[in-house]
Amino acid sequence: MLFNSLEFAFFLPIVFCLYWLCNKNLKLQNGVLLLSSYYFYSCWDWRFLSLIILSTIVDYCIGLGLKNESHSISIRKLLLWISIGVNIGLLGFFKYYNFFIEQFTAAFTLFGTSFEGSTISIILPVGISFYTFQTLSYTIDVCRKKIEPTTNVLAFSAFVSFFPQLVAGPIERASNLLPQFIKKKQFDYTSAVDGMRQILWGLFKKMIIADNCAEIANTIFYSPADYSASTLVLGAVFFAFQIYGDFSGYSDIAIGTARLFGFNLMKNFSFPYFSRDIAEFWRRWHISLSTWFRDYVYIPLGGSKTSKAKQIRNVFIVFLVSGFWHGANWTFIIWGALNALFFLPLLLSKQNRTHLDTVAQGKLFPSVRELAAMTSTFLLTAIAWVFFRAESMSHAAEYFQYMFDWTLFTMPVLISKVSISTTLILLLIFVLIEWLGRENEYAIENIERLLNRFLRWCFYAIVIAAIIVFTPTEQNPFIYFQF
Amino acid sequence: MMRFLKHIVLFSVFASLPIALFLGLTAHLNTNIVFKKQGGHLYSRINEIPKFPKVDVLFVGSSHAYRGFDIRLFTKNGISSFNLGSSSQSPIQSLYVLEKYLDSIDCEKIVFEVSPQAFSSDGIESALDMISNDNMNWRTVKMGLEAQHMKVFNTLLYSAYRQFLNLDSNFSEEKTKGKDTYISGGFVERQQQEFRKSASTHYEIRQRQLAAFEKIVEVIKGRGIELILVQAPVTLAEYKMYESNEKFDALMSTYSVYYNFNKLITLSDSVHFYDSHHLNQYGVEVFNNALVDFITK
Repeated sequence: MLFNSLEFAFFLPIVFCLYWLCNKNLKLQNGVLLLSSYYFYSCWDWRFLSLIILSTIVDYCIGLGLKNESHSISIRKLLLWISIGVNIGLLGFFKYYNFFIEQFTAAFTLFGTSFEGSTISIILPVGISFYTFQTLSYTIDVCRKKIEPTTNVLAFSAFVSFFPQLVAGPIERASNLLPQFIKKKQFDYTSAVDGMRQILWGLFKKMIIADNCAEIANTIFYSPADYSASTLVLGAVFFAFQIYGDFSGYSDIAIGTARLFGFNLMKNFSFPYFSRDIAEFWRRWHISLSTWFRDYVYIPLGGSKTSKAKQIRNVFIVFLVSGFWHGANWTFIIWGALNALFFLPLLLSKQNRTHLDTVAQGKLFPSVRELAAMTSTFLLTAIAWVFFRAESMSHAAEYFQYMFDWTLFTMPVLISKVSISTTLILLLIFVLIEWLGRENEYAIENIERLLNRFLRWCFYAIVIAAIIVFTPTEQNPFIYFQF
Repeated sequence: MMRFLKHIVLFSVFASLPIALFLGLTAHLNTNIVFKKQGGHLYSRINEIPKFPKVDVLFVGSSHAYRGFDIRLFTKNGISSFNLGSSSQSPIQSLYVLEKYLDSIDCEKIVFEVSPQAFSSDGIESALDMISNDNMNWRTVKMGLEAQHMKVFNTLLYSAYRQFLNLDSNFSEEKTKGKDTYISGGFVERQQQEFRKSASTHYEIRQRQLAAFEKIVEVIKGRGIELILVQAPVTLAEYKMYESNEKFDALMSTYSVYYNFNKLITLSDSVHFYDSHHLNQYGVEVFNNALVDFITK
């Protein structure tokens, strides 16, 4: 059930009404959320609900085990490793089994010996990378005594499977989300309206920006040999906007939907393409995953408070693992490595925390220097995205081979019926709105203060109409579902 | 809560006017609603159905069909025919047209144009073509709703509104649109033009299309009509875009008599095609003459 589908348009109001009809009974509310989340997930494949339930039971029980103060440190560590083993084991099997078998086979063949592993046909359960990391954060935080383990199995189950962020995040921390399932809620009009507004903006990003850019990016990426270098650069730029619109759009819908139920999810994107360097970009892109790796991998490894050699090692580990988290393909690993290479000079020269504020804060226009910094950062990320988008290393190599030749200085040409001009105009409007709203949680958050109700409603109506008019015929599923 | 719900209702009422206005103002963009009866002359084709109550062969399929089966060439060979092909027609829409019009056209054989492209299609383009050109009935509404696509819903609503107010009573479709000329009986002839390669995409067969196709086979065979499955020729590069051609051939052969003309005749991109998918008139003649041989065998 996609957020931009007709099914979801029926599902959401029904769950919303049921949930608030039960607002005198927290258990009933959590029950409604749990059942609807399970239903939501089973719309993809009900069989994989068992994995969520298994993860829930294991981590709930381990949480209870960790609650016992009489356990020695070694038992606590053992419990934690069981949780890590089960969660990463499931993830590893469903996501990486075939990849490792193929790599082992290739490696053994290279050294002239044979390896008897055979790949099997495995379906990747939707959202497994997201909920696995979410539940892991719970057991790790309980083990570190950062949060108290819960004894409320219903609240915990609802926390693990909360449908707005179940399949593509934001990857929540138990410390933020779990207490919200235990606290009684009152309907908040302002919060609900804000949620609706964020959903609308998310739909705009997904259905207009991402899906229109996808049409062009897919055409170009499918046969790079057919296009000039300048067109391939354009393809990379369109993909950069596609993935941003797609994933941040999903996050906006998820956060907005959660707000309708009185939940506050963490921010996942903060206008990353207005970053002045790669370090700032990574503070603004997929924040829930970046901070997860920071808290549970980077800092435990020593972070930046260690020797230079170890700092470099830590940065590479985090970026490579982050790349590998996205998929069992060398393209993601190279994408991670490339970002590590972009990031390292900033870290080593202690420039990685230069830009902690918002670009051109309080101003309408950026300075020339800021504009140049944003453009170069965007181009670096767009180049890295080529690896992310490519289906294989040879595909990426082919793309780069054709991207750097003399035709780089010619006008881009598309041999298809895709309307590039309409998409460019839409992109321009989108970037402008995002720029004007860059100091808010999401671009149109501030509209409440800027416009009166009549103008606001006109604006919403126009956004809805634009979605109706400009959504392309070919719909694309959310990219991050495959992770 | 009540205030919130009340405002949702009020906004829905309020928004309908600006939305309608915006849709009207952006009509010329024609991106997400089909305002006009256009496409591959489907309107003319449907209106001609009463003129062809009995034919030897009925052609069904995508533009490969209505641009590929020239009924004049079949008439020359003593075969009467009618072409019910339409733009990007996928099995879902073929099933729709057959269920709707098979009672009106008595035919001995149906030549059903099949291709991996049609089976991989989401059917949206074709659904839009059907809804905007055909007279609506409950079958049209059902087909439109099943498409689960906003553009189809928009067009469905708009067409229903036009039909309800009888706004198309004076509409008549031009025979010649650009380089295309409609030939009575359903064929569309393209003026000679230089070959231009068109963009290709990756194909993956959809289960929904396969299910619709199986229903078609059942409907046709249930009526005692001979079914001939034909894969029309496309350029070699286009043909190779689908990686499982052998599997597709094997699959089609299990349903009925099946001819893959990509293997049966040899054509040249620049001589016989005007783009990657479509034959020029010279190519149509080669293809149709070969097909006549197979039909009359």
